[in-house]
Amino acid sequence: MIQAILDAVSLGGVYALAALGLGLVFGVMRLVNFAHAELITVASYTLVMTHQFPLVVSMVLSVVVASLMALLMELLAYRRLRGSNPATMLIVSFGVSVLLQKIYELVFGALPRSASVATGLTGTFTVGGVSITTASVVTIVLAVVILLAMGYLIERTKLGLQLRAAASDFQTARLLGVRSNRLIASAFVISGALAAVVAFVNVVGNPQVDPRFGLDITILALVGIVVGGMNSLRGSALGGFIVGAVLSLLNVILGNGRVYAYSWMFVIVIVILLVRPGGILSKFATKERV
Amino acid sequence: MTLLEVRDLRAGYGKVDVLFGVSLTASKGELIGIVGPNGAGKSTLFGAIVGTVGLRSGSVFLDGEDISGKRPEDIVRRGLSLVPEGRQIFSGLSVIENLTLGLTGRRDKHGEKGALDRVHDLFPVLTTHRDHQAGMLSGGQQQQLAIARALVADPRVLLLDEPSLGLSPTVVKDVFDRLIAIAQSGTAVVIVEQRAHLVTRLAEQTHVLRAGKVQATLTKEDAADEAKLTAAYFGNSGE
Repeated sequence: MIQAILDAVSLGGVYALAALGLGLVFGVMRLVNFAHAELITVASYTLVMTHQFPLVVSMVLSVVVASLMALLMELLAYRRLRGSNPATMLIVSFGVSVLLQKIYELVFGALPRSASVATGLTGTFTVGGVSITTASVVTIVLAVVILLAMGYLIERTKLGLQLRAAASDFQTARLLGVRSNRLIASAFVISGALAAVVAFVNVVGNPQVDPRFGLDITILALVGIVVGGMNSLRGSALGGFIVGAVLSLLNVILGNGRVYAYSWMFVIVIVILLVRPGGILSKFATKERV
Repeated sequence: MTLLEVRDLRAGYGKVDVLFGVSLTASKGELIGIVGPNGAGKSTLFGAIVGTVGLRSGSVFLDGEDISGKRPEDIVRRGLSLVPEGRQIFSGLSVIENLTLGLTGRRDKHGEKGALDRVHDLFPVLTTHRDHQAGMLSGGQQQQLAIARALVADPRVLLLDEPSLGLSPTVVKDVFDRLIAIAQSGTAVVIVEQRAHLVTRLAEQTHVLRAGKVQATLTKEDAADEAKLTAAYFGNSGE
């Protein structure tokens, strides 16, 4: 039971980080960056391809590669689309996602690449007769530390203040001197770094990286930011946490019926959205359209 | 000393032209009014000056420097600030966070504390509500915050779009008294108002904008003549 709770908190933490990365970019650009999945994938490939390096070096490299790729996405694909309607940007982000998956396939092959990353974290230890996996504890600690750091960045720094203001009203933020190019680039770089952290905890648990490695977690993180409230970074993280934790608990509770875990999770998501259509932390009511 | 010069400005949205050759100037310490009916192009004129509306032709000079077509964030950093229509404060942020954002546009980063102190002197209510959420302030307090947020950037030119919108007469008088004080401190203040009488009494010059053109420029004395103002505002027929 304790392990099940730890796993739920651990998976919730991972999805919270993924959702926060997506939420940051959505906040400043109103872009649902589907290609966030490919940032997680490229960071995972970097970890696998550099597994022979010291772990810290490998992790730093994965953060650098994912952040650079996020920056390139912004410069080459999304910058010219600012001001386009959200549907156009979403379709382009699909395009970027598929294109990068094919590039990964050409470079790394369609079959999974595998290597043992952070082997020291794959064991178990016993507390009071309960066996606990090291990976789940490390994941929780990492998620808490990163979420606290992000909380500090967003709530206590000038960059965070500008990100919050831009998420609320970018035009007015620019009229006050907030540099739009720099701010959006910063959001993408941070989003890339968060993708690398997500990649690390995933690769430790499952070091079989293929070109679609980041896809499932990104789709569920997107569900998370809708559940939490798309206009709120806190909501994004909370929604991601809920989706991850609920999915993990359902896998345990349903036992042999765990194949239906996704179905039940989406039932819960639908119920939450019926009660809070704008998301749990959203302050905005829905607009009547029909 | 001319701080703002707008020369033959033409601007619009998409294929629709809104401004057809607008020219005006504002000097140091001067208070200039721009009045006109709905759809005259008043807010578009401010948008074109601050870079949020694309220019077709014409130029905008700030203290002699051509700022035409520059990005809004670059223009505010050169010393031209806009208080937009509807105030556009960040309602989810605190008063001090709104003011801190205003500091982003300052050229002189060393004077930030002094700038905050000055606006707190000018608008004491903002000190009282320093840590309150801006969205919880009254309309008049929000307008004071919007003006203070623009002022902390230490602008040489301050543009205000409909500062009286949604405010009671007493609060409007209070806000305009403070705008006079701001102009007297050396800032060129340009006010767009639909309610002409609010600004014509105070402004050295009032430009009447109609159908995207300056139809008349009135002095304070001209504007005191109701018939003259009405004729300029609605056209010679007075309709």
